[in-house]
Amino acid sequence: MSRRLPIYIAIDTSGSMYGEAIQSVNVGLQAMLTALRQDPHALDSVHLSVITFDIEVKELFPLTPLSQVQIGEIICPRSGPTYTGEALALIVERTKRDIISSTSERKGDWRPMLFLMTDGSPSDVARYDEILPQIKNCHFGRIIACAAGPKAKIDQLRKLTDTIVSLDTTDSTAFSSFFKWVSASVEMRSSSIGAGSADVLPPPPAEIQIVI
Amino acid sequence: MIQVRKAKAKNGTIVEYLDEIIGSGGMKDVYFTPDRKHVVAFFRDKQDRQAQERLEMITGVYRERIFNQEGGAYWENLFCWPSQMVEDDKGRIGVVVSTYQNHFFFATGSVNSDFLKIKGREKEGKWFASPSNRNKYLDPAERGCWLDYLRISILLSRAVRRMHAAGLAHSDLSYKNVLIDPAGGHACIIDIDGLVVPGKFPPDVVGTPDFIAPEVIKTCRLDRTDLNRKLPSIATDRHALAVLIYMYLLLRHPLRGDKVHDLDDPQRDEDLSMGERALFVEHLADRSNKIRLDNLKPLELPWKDTAALPCQITGPYLSKLFQQAFVDGLHCPEKRPTADEWEQALIKTVDLLQPCANPQCEQKWYVFDNTKSPKCPFCGTAYKGKLPVLNLYSSRHDGKFLPDNHRLMVYTGQSLFPWHVNRNIVPNERLSLQDRQRVGYFIFHNSTWLLVNERLPGLIDLASKQPVPPGSRIALSDNSQILFSKENGGRLAHIQLVDA
Repeated sequence: MSRRLPIYIAIDTSGSMYGEAIQSVNVGLQAMLTALRQDPHALDSVHLSVITFDIEVKELFPLTPLSQVQIGEIICPRSGPTYTGEALALIVERTKRDIISSTSERKGDWRPMLFLMTDGSPSDVARYDEILPQIKNCHFGRIIACAAGPKAKIDQLRKLTDTIVSLDTTDSTAFSSFFKWVSASVEMRSSSIGAGSADVLPPPPAEIQIVI
Repeated sequence: MIQVRKAKAKNGTIVEYLDEIIGSGGMKDVYFTPDRKHVVAFFRDKQDRQAQERLEMITGVYRERIFNQEGGAYWENLFCWPSQMVEDDKGRIGVVVSTYQNHFFFATGSVNSDFLKIKGREKEGKWFASPSNRNKYLDPAERGCWLDYLRISILLSRAVRRMHAAGLAHSDLSYKNVLIDPAGGHACIIDIDGLVVPGKFPPDVVGTPDFIAPEVIKTCRLDRTDLNRKLPSIATDRHALAVLIYMYLLLRHPLRGDKVHDLDDPQRDEDLSMGERALFVEHLADRSNKIRLDNLKPLELPWKDTAALPCQITGPYLSKLFQQAFVDGLHCPEKRPTADEWEQALIKTVDLLQPCANPQCEQKWYVFDNTKSPKCPFCGTAYKGKLPVLNLYSSRHDGKFLPDNHRLMVYTGQSLFPWHVNRNIVPNERLSLQDRQRVGYFIFHNSTWLLVNERLPGLIDLASKQPVPPGSRIALSDNSQILFSKENGGRLAHIQLVDA
């Protein structure tokens, strides 16, 4: 069997996302799924899981082969906290359960990728800080955080990863370009590699700026 | 309303394009010209003087070297070669390329009313190079049969042979840069703007995963100026070509076995298994990288079962080259088969094909192997009946006939072509229109195999020494001999009747 590429997507569904923001996320996710399925490389390797977090952490679906993924409508409460720490805790647990490691007789999975999107900051800061070292131990190939809108706290995200994508707004254009970029990052794995450098992200589309 | 913008070529010609990006690649943004017969692909990054000089050469001298020669028009279908370098008013550098032909876009796409929504999208090679993509997701009308993949491999080898003959290396051959249309038997090399000219223009890319030669991966951490660093070249193109052919014909990667080189780091494991420690999955002496059956999904069978479908099913000429490419030449670039050798071997392999007797067989054709009980390796249907095999010999200067290591398997409707009857006629782009037409055909009639002569004036039945003029026929019996032509290079066929 060829190696799987596990991808975890964690989406903030706290109260502030209610309304146009969450609608845009839904549209963006669907578009991302379509784009990934149009890529024969992704279709051969990508396994996807989507997790949402507000006062509750929900696993929309566990790691599933791309061709079998069905994303239902994500809804969010009108108000409430953002348990980012709890969401990461679930991801740690899931990677421990799901990721197939190499054995002497079998090739394991590629290093997983994690995309985390939030429009605010963790309400459970203590838990968040406590879980970060464990996330580092999960050996993600890449962690990309998306700070959506002006209220997203970049300082908190910086503790999680160096790659932070910042969206100025939380409208449909911004989210759709973010999810487009997610699929492009995945597709990059199968395209030409430059003679100069090794590991590069695709150039972000116009609406997105990367904060390093 | 989309605005029409203008870009200028060096010679002053104005090229118009519609100001709306229709696609973006790794390095370029692509726009239609107003008539949509061409596209203009602008580089996002600034092109330095050397890069511009290279583009000028590619659109100028190199293009002419290939296209402005006898048989040059033949290449229009095999290459999507940039015709002009242009600069727009913002200083962006771009190239003008023909729009891909219609057959390179999916006509029906995927199964279940195109659930993947790929109808109308480009037929990137990867769709046809993995068992799940080809056999599970693609609409059966898009898949093509084994003969189609053989034809595509011939076209690709021919195109690469032509580039190499002009001293050019593509440097990034992969299923992304080769469009194929199995249903129609077409192939076309795209993204030619990265051409490498040894000693003149160094490569921008190291290649695409799956196709990068082991020596390039092994040395990719060295500095570009390090003398030990290996960059793409004609020798690495040869590796990529061999991988492409292997994947199209056998639907598996020649180096992706189950040997694990690093338990903790999949990327390092990948680098080792494609680079320094690359090992053919079908290596006869070292079985450590074989594909383990217990790790396979049902859909991957029989393709990834190297015992059920060893590369020997591609016939003697190709399996020899696979050995040469993935055993002898894997870590020894100068031993790799050339594109020309692939083209010749593929063409000869076409003469070994038999149609499968099973109408449901998806591959429809297979290489007939009479050393064992002959059967279709893909569906297992046995061949039944008598089958004539023509072993070809040709006359050399002293009138002696020597074996050509070339056989022709006969089936009903099989054609005899000029390149079968004369050693000096080679089926390639330079073949005259007259020599592209068949000169005879074979048919099983009243329990006898017959060769019907259509256009061979010098055909002689050597047993009776009687001429067989055009319009008449000759029965094929075991051990009989036919002389096709007395001309220089003319061939003699020794007939074997195989009973299965």
